[in-house]
Amino acid sequence: MTGSFRVSVDTGGTFTDVIGVDASSGELFAVKTPSNREDPSRALLEGVAKVLEAAGKTPEEIELVIHGTTTATNAVLEHEFDGIGLLVTTGFRHLIEIARQSVPDGYGNSYFWVKPPRIVPLHLVREVPERLAYDGTVLEPLDLGSVRTAAAELVAAGVNRLGVCLLHAYANDKHEREIGQMLAEEFPDLFVSLSSVVLPEYREYERAMTTLIDVMVKPYCKTYLGAAQRDLDKVTGGRPFLIMQSNGGVVSAETAGDKPVTMLLSGPAGGVLGAIEAARSAGVRDLITLDVGGTSTDVALIEDLKIRLTSETVIENYPVKVPMIDIATVGTGGGSIAWQGPGESLKVGPKSAGAYPGPISYGRGGTAPTVTDAAAILGRLPDALVGGELSLAKDAARSAFTGFGTQFGLSAEEAAAGVLEVAVIGQVAGIRQVSTLKGRDPSAYALVAFGGAGPLLANEVAEALGMRRVLVPPTPGNLSAFGLQVSDVKRDYVRTLVRDLDAGNDATVVDEIEKVWLELEAAGRGELRAEGVPTEQVSLVRGADLRYVGEGYEVSVVIDDLSGDDAVRAIEAAFHEEHNRVYGFSYAGEQQVEVVALRVQALGELHRPTLATAPRSGGGTPVPTGTRSVYWRSTGWIDCPTYDRAALGDGDSVAGPAIVEEYGSTYVVPTGWDATVDHFGNILSERKDA
Amino acid sequence: MNTTRKLGPIELEVITGTIRSAEVEIEAAVERAARSPMIRDQHDYRVGLYDARGRKLTGRSYGSLIEPVFEFFGDDINPGDVFFWNDPYNSAGSCGHVPDLCTTVPIFVGERLIGFSQVFGHHDDVGGCVPGSLPVQVHDQWGEGLVVPPIKLYDRGVLNETGFRIIERNSRLSEHLRGDIDSEIGACQLGSRRLVELAERYGIETLEAGFDGIIENCARTIREELFPKIEDGVYTFEDYIECDGFTRQLFAMRVTMTKTADKITLDFSGTDPEAEGPINWAIDYCEGRFVRKWMAPVLRCLASSPERAAEIDINEGALDVIDVVFPEKGTLVTPHFGRPTGLRFFILLRSLGIFAGALAKATGGQMPADHETIRIWGMHSRDEQGKLSLFREVLGGGGPGRPWADGSDVVHIVPNSRNLPAEFSEQRYPVLVEQLALRPDSGGAGKHRGGLGYDKRIRALKDCMLLSNADRTDLNPYGVNGGRAGGNYSILLQRADGTEEVLDGMVDNVPVRAGDVVRLCTTGGGGWGDPLARDPETVRYDVLCGNVTLATAEGRYGVRLVGEGPGLSVDAAGTEDLRAKLTAERGDVAMFDRGEHFDRIKADGGVRWPEGWTDPDDCLAGRS
Repeated sequence: MTGSFRVSVDTGGTFTDVIGVDASSGELFAVKTPSNREDPSRALLEGVAKVLEAAGKTPEEIELVIHGTTTATNAVLEHEFDGIGLLVTTGFRHLIEIARQSVPDGYGNSYFWVKPPRIVPLHLVREVPERLAYDGTVLEPLDLGSVRTAAAELVAAGVNRLGVCLLHAYANDKHEREIGQMLAEEFPDLFVSLSSVVLPEYREYERAMTTLIDVMVKPYCKTYLGAAQRDLDKVTGGRPFLIMQSNGGVVSAETAGDKPVTMLLSGPAGGVLGAIEAARSAGVRDLITLDVGGTSTDVALIEDLKIRLTSETVIENYPVKVPMIDIATVGTGGGSIAWQGPGESLKVGPKSAGAYPGPISYGRGGTAPTVTDAAAILGRLPDALVGGELSLAKDAARSAFTGFGTQFGLSAEEAAAGVLEVAVIGQVAGIRQVSTLKGRDPSAYALVAFGGAGPLLANEVAEALGMRRVLVPPTPGNLSAFGLQVSDVKRDYVRTLVRDLDAGNDATVVDEIEKVWLELEAAGRGELRAEGVPTEQVSLVRGADLRYVGEGYEVSVVIDDLSGDDAVRAIEAAFHEEHNRVYGFSYAGEQQVEVVALRVQALGELHRPTLATAPRSGGGTPVPTGTRSVYWRSTGWIDCPTYDRAALGDGDSVAGPAIVEEYGSTYVVPTGWDATVDHFGNILSERKDA
Repeated sequence: MNTTRKLGPIELEVITGTIRSAEVEIEAAVERAARSPMIRDQHDYRVGLYDARGRKLTGRSYGSLIEPVFEFFGDDINPGDVFFWNDPYNSAGSCGHVPDLCTTVPIFVGERLIGFSQVFGHHDDVGGCVPGSLPVQVHDQWGEGLVVPPIKLYDRGVLNETGFRIIERNSRLSEHLRGDIDSEIGACQLGSRRLVELAERYGIETLEAGFDGIIENCARTIREELFPKIEDGVYTFEDYIECDGFTRQLFAMRVTMTKTADKITLDFSGTDPEAEGPINWAIDYCEGRFVRKWMAPVLRCLASSPERAAEIDINEGALDVIDVVFPEKGTLVTPHFGRPTGLRFFILLRSLGIFAGALAKATGGQMPADHETIRIWGMHSRDEQGKLSLFREVLGGGGPGRPWADGSDVVHIVPNSRNLPAEFSEQRYPVLVEQLALRPDSGGAGKHRGGLGYDKRIRALKDCMLLSNADRTDLNPYGVNGGRAGGNYSILLQRADGTEEVLDGMVDNVPVRAGDVVRLCTTGGGGWGDPLARDPETVRYDVLCGNVTLATAEGRYGVRLVGEGPGLSVDAAGTEDLRAKLTAERGDVAMFDRGEHFDRIKADGGVRWPEGWTDPDDCLAGRS
């Protein structure tokens, strides 16, 4: 590789964040450019040009470009459903109509709940004569002729995307493969996804839905990534263009486009990686991320600095079972609107003022009181944001809150403080989804707060959860783009194989398991080689999904470098341990265990730029830039010192209450917390014992 | 922040929000740790948080009661206690049938009792004469399984080892039972922690004022938001169970609803006598508190939108707006002690249906039609060692047509209850799922049609015994406001030799041989509104998808279609003529349609009303 300037581009709803790192000096350059919803590749190119200019670099100096994109997610959110067809095994035409027969939320909601529209209407589903048994045995051979007829009918009816999901195809992909080959030859314009390629795992409804989401977003992703690649190639002369996936690893744009269902969390994944890097530098290993944007908050739980993947993700009511970072999203962000709900209750969100018109205090025509406005009039925010560029119209916000508070018999301050408290409860609910709902106690983790509005309420969120440490990384507003800089090439492989372990004594079972693992590893090595990762940089991690015989739920475990009987015994032991951790009990030695699926993760380590982040040495007790009156419900208005983050050095420490201001974010340190700056510029605050 | 503050809207919102999310957390904890597929997959469990007086605070789902704790233990309630029962009669009617094991944990801040956390779940097996503990042909509750009156399973943190062993020993699937009970207790304790945290944050006084606020909000929402849509007056309605396991006849549950500006009184007088078989429901205890909270959620159908309906929590506040009156002892809803109750889910659904029907009369038809979504079928066998294999499915049915939408196809009234994937069933049990389909025309016709039921076919690969606990093989879910009745349930055996046997919906042990196919069709939802007012394009689309047959499109909807496949289109002039003809022929449109089977019984004089009653169906449809 000739260049040494690594560029990362994170496309957000309002801005596209771009970071460039000079690998030789470790110097980092950050720029922003407005996102372009119609033509996102234009914003990408503009951003790349802008960061080159900022760094004084030429395009030839680019080493590679890493990109986090919301293209796939937007296609799902915007319901681009027209023209999708589905092929299923005879007898299962109603598979996705029936789904799992479940109605969400409360008892009796079936009276009024309306099932959301299916991705494929029933008349665009065709049955294919064929049948496999659960072990892959062919019970009825495939009739390719009727597939041909069905495909022709569907194309005539306007289908341009086709999902194929045959029963038990995870156990034997023969029939799906034959269909795929025929379609490629005879219907070359059709976008096709096969369930045995997208997700070779049992459970036909979830596999079909994942396959359909994949084929649904495929044209959008292929078109966008193709255009972006072509345009970038013209600039860089063909430097690698890598795409962040939902599993926290990157792959080439071409690979990503072939299986775009893996890109659904491409956007938020970068933030999680950035938070992990910040935590690593600060000596924190167990953390919960709090990424607060304008309209929503993303949270993830990280143990021992390792990303936890889930295959239980639901997007827009549709299950997507490919491995993704376990991220929960709640509809509370900086722009969330406060309103009076039924029963005179005080509500915040999910409606948001967004970037336009934005909060009242931005003075761009916003009229609805938001979380940001509440923070502004309570003195939590300075008089102007983004380094003084955006003056806050605090008077307008205050008069809005005076009116808002009247409905509840509250003063403007009380109402604004109430809005922040209710916003905190929203973020707390998000964290509970990834912690207590999964059997984890949040008090054992540090909260890593970022995104423009993350540090504002972080400590109050932490208090509500009994968490004692809050970490605010440097430039928290840019952490997602930074996270893209520290990613690795990563691909996940899975295959269903249901076998009774019975203590691993059965040599045939051990052989079967080992064979599948070896095949998955070979696939991983081959595909990473094709991605340009040298073999010596590839590492492979074996894993498995297991359950007690008779249960309908699996637990995923990974094991160290073991093979054969040792590996089988290790996954069984790891299963009992993990079961106990997640569910609070295990039946080690009492109940039979069966393996359900085998997994391999192939990892190609990219060398990481060394960052020159260490700030100057601080004097221990920094000098405030001023004092501001700040309101809390428990104290009323109190004087609070303000600090400029850029002026804080290694070892500097401030006691709450205090406000730390920087270019893209404001960190509020409440009473009872001590905040200290470390060698890498992180601010780590700790709760003092009450 | 251990300061006591007075309750304001902010505290109330935070306390309300925390209790709501605690309910979700407790549910997740049950699911994580439970063993029974009935709890884990079918989600047949309920959780609740209560205040120190036993008033229900959570409102996503109905719950059991705390009153049995007070009744049996008085002041003897201490930190570390775990109360436990499944006795339908001695639990003040708070457990409907013996498979529901109920666990209750008192919540303390120091020595001060601040509330209760409770979970009950439907366990796979608690003994009795049929695997799964839901026998059809049973004469009393002792045949249904082990009955446990309210006991302390833990006393100040010490396990009642003897009691636990007796309970465990009485289950055919004892390791499931143990896991299930542990999961219930663990989940209750999690809920306790959330209330204690709130008490520590706001102080007990503010927290208890918050509890009052939550309960008052529920009552006020019902009274101010939903009540104005119901015309004051007296309305009667009834519906039936068709069989008690011994006799096929109409077993009627009746209600007289009196609506005033601030109260609804539901009087069940006139309900038929108790049954010999397990369709009774003991709810006449404790001023009917259980059933009042159970039925109140039906009122949410009157909210301005389905989204709004889902937001309305129904807690103890329901008692403030709903009263009940019970008939004398000895009816289906006031059974004498010991009458069997295992299949009480039929009458449980009927109770919602008769309330909805009475409300339909009081709102000019602006209520959903009927739907029936709980029935269980299964196959069981034993291996060479005699170990039981129990394959059971709770298959949903079509949802009701309603003023705002068609009924959803195959749904289940129990939230998040899931069917078994064919790929799971085939791995785990000796079966081959040959068809997973919706049944055309099973949704009752209407301006908004009822949802479709299943048409599922499963081949047995091994000899086994079949069970079916299902109602509505004869009678249909009713249609409302001119909508027609939904299709009914059927279960039949297609023998490997080509013969076919229609089975009774209520059977315990039917031998099935390897190669036989079981075909199950479940109920469709009733339709809502005049089928002749349904948009012809929607009817065309239903025919194109195979949801409605051509014959029904013409006969029921008056829609003439031409062409086929993608070329199918509406013959506008022909449709207009046909609809005019059908409209002239039929005359007045009735509010309710209960289906042909019922009409035949009625025509034969088989429907009789108690003294003082007239035909509650004598009512014309409103606007649609």
